[in-house]
Amino acid sequence: MLELRGICVPGRQRPRLNNLSFSLASGERVALLGASGAGKSTLLAVANGLIKPTAGVVYWHGEAAANGGRRLRQQARIGTLWQDLRLVEQLTVQQSLNCGRLAAWPWHLVLLNLLIPLETSACSKVLAQVELTADLLPVPIIQLSGGQRQRIALGRLLRQGADLLLADEPLAQLDPPLAAKLLNLLLELGSAPRALLMSLHRPDLLQGFDRVLGLRCGELVFDTHPARISASQLQDLYESDQHKSDQT
Amino acid sequence: MRFQAAPALGLLLPALVFLPLVALLPGAVHGGGWPLIAAFGMAALQPSFTPALVANALHGIAITLAIALWSWLLSMAIGLIAAVFSSPTVTTALCGCRWPAHWLRRLLAIPRSLHELLWGLILLQLIGLHPAVAVLAIAIPYGALVARVLSDQLESLDQKPFQALQAAGVAAPAALFSALGPSLLPGLLSYGGYRFECALRSATLLGVFGLGGIGADLRLSLQSLQFNEAWTSLWALALVMFSMEQLIALWRGRWVQGRHLLILLGCLLLLLFPAANLLDLQWQVLLNPWRLLPADQLFQLQGWWQPWPQLISSTVLLTITAALAAFAATPLLLLLICPWPWLQLLLRAFGLFARLMPPPLTALLLLFVLKPGLLPAAIALAFHNAGILGRLFLEGLESQDPRPEQALWAAGVPRRRALLMARFNGLATSYMAYGAYRADVILRETVVVGLVGVGGLGAVLLEALSSFAWAELLPVLVVYALLTLLGEELADRYRRSLLFNHTQLGGVSTPQLELLPRGVPGPA
Repeated sequence: MLELRGICVPGRQRPRLNNLSFSLASGERVALLGASGAGKSTLLAVANGLIKPTAGVVYWHGEAAANGGRRLRQQARIGTLWQDLRLVEQLTVQQSLNCGRLAAWPWHLVLLNLLIPLETSACSKVLAQVELTADLLPVPIIQLSGGQRQRIALGRLLRQGADLLLADEPLAQLDPPLAAKLLNLLLELGSAPRALLMSLHRPDLLQGFDRVLGLRCGELVFDTHPARISASQLQDLYESDQHKSDQT
Repeated sequence: MRFQAAPALGLLLPALVFLPLVALLPGAVHGGGWPLIAAFGMAALQPSFTPALVANALHGIAITLAIALWSWLLSMAIGLIAAVFSSPTVTTALCGCRWPAHWLRRLLAIPRSLHELLWGLILLQLIGLHPAVAVLAIAIPYGALVARVLSDQLESLDQKPFQALQAAGVAAPAALFSALGPSLLPGLLSYGGYRFECALRSATLLGVFGLGGIGADLRLSLQSLQFNEAWTSLWALALVMFSMEQLIALWRGRWVQGRHLLILLGCLLLLLFPAANLLDLQWQVLLNPWRLLPADQLFQLQGWWQPWPQLISSTVLLTITAALAAFAATPLLLLLICPWPWLQLLLRAFGLFARLMPPPLTALLLLFVLKPGLLPAAIALAFHNAGILGRLFLEGLESQDPRPEQALWAAGVPRRRALLMARFNGLATSYMAYGAYRADVILRETVVVGLVGVGGLGAVLLEALSSFAWAELLPVLVVYALLTLLGEELADRYRRSLLFNHTQLGGVSTPQLELLPRGVPGPA
């Protein structure tokens, strides 16, 4: 579904990604571990097409990343759950969910949705999937709680119909019970025919993932099953990175 | 089906005004004049560099700048003093009653209701042709406007520090100065910078009507079809206006603080003396006996018989058409060109040209190809105000959080749709609030395009002043003033309700758009 080959992204002091390669198949749920500044967010931005690598190729469903309209069609199949959610605060829940359909809709529906929020039943169904009720549909995003917003952002991905879900540390600012709930939801949604690539800060939440990628200073240091990660590997991942960061 | 209009619709719907405008255009074209428009466009690339002409243009610009500087400083001084005494908080602290503030506020509505051009033409009759006329013509309405904005800001400040000082036994003037002064200063500086830009535009406009400066040269060049000469003045004006806008952006930004502020104020004060010399300002002229308007003609009853419904409806129609077109122009154009960033530079250059071109001169150019009437007047007013609104819109857009839009790009949403859904929705409320204020300004400005035969109150006023028809002057002036005050009240209510609802929902304001018109909005 997603393949990255020899990806390089330069940074100010050291490369943000350095000759990084890996692939992700349909149905796989992959966690991305690494200290702050290891390149996790950059990797996700390369995967969703927001950052163009200076070297290397990204393949989506076996096709190299294209330009123009074809690129947009490729990107429309990739949904990203951002750490800061990136919802448009001025819209209602229904209009926000429908933002997932913007790439597919013709212009007149895009404009009509600004006046009369469209596809109410599909939006209600998505809300049920993310464990929210349909009475939230007319509520402005700005009036929602943090947990509700997180679910709306996830609902937007479902409305988008993405088959690859990328998540950039979505659990970072949540309390433990909420984080566990959202993680379960993401793992469920990321199962076949979809796939999930999610960056994490907490190694204790790796159960349920099929693979774990370890990133350090923009390089892939391990790609293994969660059960096979040793304590020394984890210590090395965080301490070495901290050491290198201190040196730079 | 449930209607829930998103804010971005408020940016797009006014663009519907272009449909009737475009539909009316073929009928308004009179056939000739296109070669003249083409010659004007071509002359932009070949401005005249004759030394005498360049020297004349520079002298004209210096006069315009000097008028702007003096009128700005006077208006800020008048405005600040009047603001203090029209603030109920201040009068309550000083004399224990609110009514002096309320009455002063009502009194200030009179100078505010007339456009600076009308003040200029009236003062011209009373004092005669003198540089002080242009300075006063701008300073009087601007002073009243500044007073209202600053007094609103004073009222919206947190009063607790002031009450705490009073409770500690500090005398009322000292408590007011210490508690409210520092909080008022940032708003005062920011708004003051904006007013200088306005003063520069007004000084150019007054020149077009013969009150000195670059505007007079521009009008002469255009009327005598010397387009190369006109472009010498226009390029010089563009350079000055662009530099001033950048300087003022620094002034309004974080750079001007503490010591820098004092140095800048010192420089401004030093500039006042050469500016006064250049203008040959002799304030004693104001003390000479004024030529009073003939009272017997001024108060004749026959002047009150006017086709009021027609005059008022023409003025309102012109205002609404120009305001909607000016409001919608930049969002619409930006939406069309956003996939090509280099075209945005062109849009900014176009905006600068629109801002520096006084509406009566645009109207004159349009008369080369259009018949006199509502259309050239509306287009000229819309063009100038689109330049002003457009700059604020683009600045506001840059200050919006780009991340929601990037998230939409990453999901394969094309640029135009992502811009519309993300940043347009974020900015719409602040921009609509500013648009309401601008509509109020456009209503006052309808007078400056009176010369293209639009047939509203402005045209009758200009006609009355230029043909000494005193019997008509007073009634039309009164009705025009009442209409502008009504427009101001309506625009103000709309703006306050918009911003109040926005902040009630927890919305984040866009300071550079909101601070300009009427100070920090309050829920009252």
